[in-house]
Amino acid sequence: MEKKINDLIDKALSRRSFLAGVGSASATALLAGCDHSSSAPPPTPTPTPTPTITDADILNFALNLEYLEAEFYLYAATGTGLAATDAGTGAGTTIVPTIKKVSFVTQAIAQYAVEIAQDELSHVRFLRSALTAAGAAPVARPNIDLTFFAPLATTAGIANGASFNPFADENSFLVGAFIFEDVGVTAYTGAATLLSSKTILSAAAGIQAVEAYHAAEIRTLIAGAAAQPGATQAWLTAANQVSTLRGSLGGGNETTLSINSIVAADTTNAIAFSRTTDQVLHIVYGAAGGAGLAKGGFFPSGLNGTIKKTAA
Amino acid sequence: MATLETQQLDEVIVNSRRKLLSVGTTALAGLALAGISRAANAQATTLTDADYLNFALNLEYLEANFYNLAVNGVTIDKLPTPIAITGTGTQGTVTAKPSFAAVPFANTTIAAYAKETAIEETKHVSFLRTALGTSAVAQPAINLVDSFNALASGALGVSSFDPFANDANFLIGAFIFEDVGVTAYHGAAGSLTSAANLGAAVGIHAVEAYHAGLVRTAINIVDAGTGVLTGYTQKIAAFRSMLANPNGATTTTKTGSKADDIGIDNSQSVALQGTSATYASTTIIDADSNSIGFSRTPQQILAIVTRTSPTATTHTGVFFPAGLNGNVK
Repeated sequence: MEKKINDLIDKALSRRSFLAGVGSASATALLAGCDHSSSAPPPTPTPTPTPTITDADILNFALNLEYLEAEFYLYAATGTGLAATDAGTGAGTTIVPTIKKVSFVTQAIAQYAVEIAQDELSHVRFLRSALTAAGAAPVARPNIDLTFFAPLATTAGIANGASFNPFADENSFLVGAFIFEDVGVTAYTGAATLLSSKTILSAAAGIQAVEAYHAAEIRTLIAGAAAQPGATQAWLTAANQVSTLRGSLGGGNETTLSINSIVAADTTNAIAFSRTTDQVLHIVYGAAGGAGLAKGGFFPSGLNGTIKKTAA
Repeated sequence: MATLETQQLDEVIVNSRRKLLSVGTTALAGLALAGISRAANAQATTLTDADYLNFALNLEYLEANFYNLAVNGVTIDKLPTPIAITGTGTQGTVTAKPSFAAVPFANTTIAAYAKETAIEETKHVSFLRTALGTSAVAQPAINLVDSFNALASGALGVSSFDPFANDANFLIGAFIFEDVGVTAYHGAAGSLTSAANLGAAVGIHAVEAYHAGLVRTAINIVDAGTGVLTGYTQKIAAFRSMLANPNGATTTTKTGSKADDIGIDNSQSVALQGTSATYASTTIIDADSNSIGFSRTPQQILAIVTRTSPTATTHTGVFFPAGLNGNVK
C-alpha cells in the first residue's frame, strides 16, 4: 500500500515537475502558479500607477528575443524565416539582406547552426504555447531588422563593418551568433529573480541553460579557431569588439573572449552575468543609456508587450 | 487514463508533500517523503537555503579537485593558494591513483580549457564557503579512481577508465560531471527562498552550462566524425538517466527518447519550420523536446554521484565513498 501511494506521488510529482511534451496540459501546469493573467485588472487609481510586471510580461519579453534568435538561425540554416503559424497573428516583417542563407563549408558548423535553429524555434513555440494556455496572449513577432548587423559592426569598430553580413560565410555567421547568445544568457539570468511562479522559474532556468550551452559552443568555436597555429585573429577580434560594444550598452557584464577564457562570468566568483531588462533593451535597440528608448537596432518598431521602453 | 478523482488525489498528495517539504511536519513524513533520505526523514528537517548550498558545495569540491588534479596535479588544499576544506561534518581526503601526475595534455587548447575550468570550479568552492560561513560543510571523502572504474564498467562495459591518462580521457571525465552540475543547480533553484541565493545559484547554473557546452563542443571536435568519443557520451548520458530514473524517465529528450539526458549524436535530422526532417543536426545541447535544459532533484543527483537508487536510505559510494556532508545526503 505504501509503495502504491508512493508510486502515485512520484507520478504526480513527475507530471508537474518536468515539462516534457508541451501539450496544452503541461503548458497549463506551467502557468498554474501564475495567476496574474486571470485576475481582473486593478481599479484605476488616481495617480498614474506603476505598471506591475507579471510573469506573463517577462515571458513575452523573452518571446521577443526568441523571435529574433529564431529568425536569425532559421534564415542562416534554411534561407527562410519563421512560419506564419509560429510568428502569430499580426506579425511584423523581418528585413533580411540579399544573402540570407549561409553557405557552410564545414559540415559540423552547419549542423551546429541547425541544432541552434531548432532550439530557438522550440523556445518560440514553447513560450507561445505556455502563454496561450494561461490565457495570456503571446505577443506576435515584432518588426525585425536582420540588416542591423552592418551598422552594429561599424559602431563596434569591426574592419569593413559597413559590409558585415553574418550570412555571408560561416565565420561571419559565428560572429553573428556571438552577438546574441551571451545576451540571452544574461537576460534569462536577470529574469529569474523577477519571476513569482516556481514552475515558470524552472522553465526559464532550463532555457537559460540552453542559451549558455549555445554561447559556450559559439565561443569555443571562435576562440578555438583563432588558437590554431597561423590562424587569422580577425574573427576573434571582431567578437571581442562586439563584446566591448555590448558592455558599453548593457552595463558591462562582459569578459574578453580568448582560448584561456571561454566562459562569460565575473572574475571574482565565476558566476554568470545578469542583466536587467533595461540593459538588454539597450543592446538589442543598439543605443546607449537613457530613459525612453523604445525602438531601434534589431527591433525598428520596438518590442511587443509591456516591457519595451527603457526606464533608464 | 487519469480520472477526475485520481487527478484530485494527485493534487492532494502533491500539496501534502509540498507542505511537508516546507514545514517539515513529522506526520506522514516517512510515507510521503520516500524520496528523501532517511536521515532527513528522521530529523524531519526543513531544508534551508544553506542545506541546498552545502549540497552544491559537496559537488563543487568534487569538480574542483578533479580539475585541479588534472591541471596542477594537486588537490585544492595543496594549491599555491590553498583552499580550506574544513567545516561541519566529516572531513575526508581525495583518493587518486598512486604516483599521481597531472594529465599530460598534448593539445594546448584542451589544456587551456582544463585550466580555465579548474580556476572557475575552485572559485565556486570559495564562493559557496564564504556565503555559508561557519555552516559550510567540510570536504567529504572523494574517490577519483574506483569511481571512474565503476562508472566505466556500468556505462561503457570496460573494467577501468583513467580520466587523467590523456586529452580525450580527460574530456570524457569532464563530460561525466558538467551536465550533472547543470541539472543539480536547476533542480535546487526553485527551492531557494532568498533572492540573493537564487541569483547566485542561477548564475552558477549558467556557468556549469557554459562548461558543459564547452566540453561537449570540444569532444565533438576531437571525435572528428569517428563516433568513438561521441558514442561514449551517449552511453554515459543513458547511464546517468538510468541512475536518476531507475523506473524509467518520464521526460522526452530532443531526440525523442524517454530519458533526462542525451549525449552527442551527429546522426540527427530535424524539420525546422518545415514538415519533414531534412536538415542534418546534432545534439551538442543536452535538453528536452522543448529545448529546455533538464532538472534533477537532489535525490537523483545523489543517485548518480554515488550509484545508488534515488530512494535509497543511504547514498554512499563511487565518488563519495562516505557520503556527502550536510543535510542533503
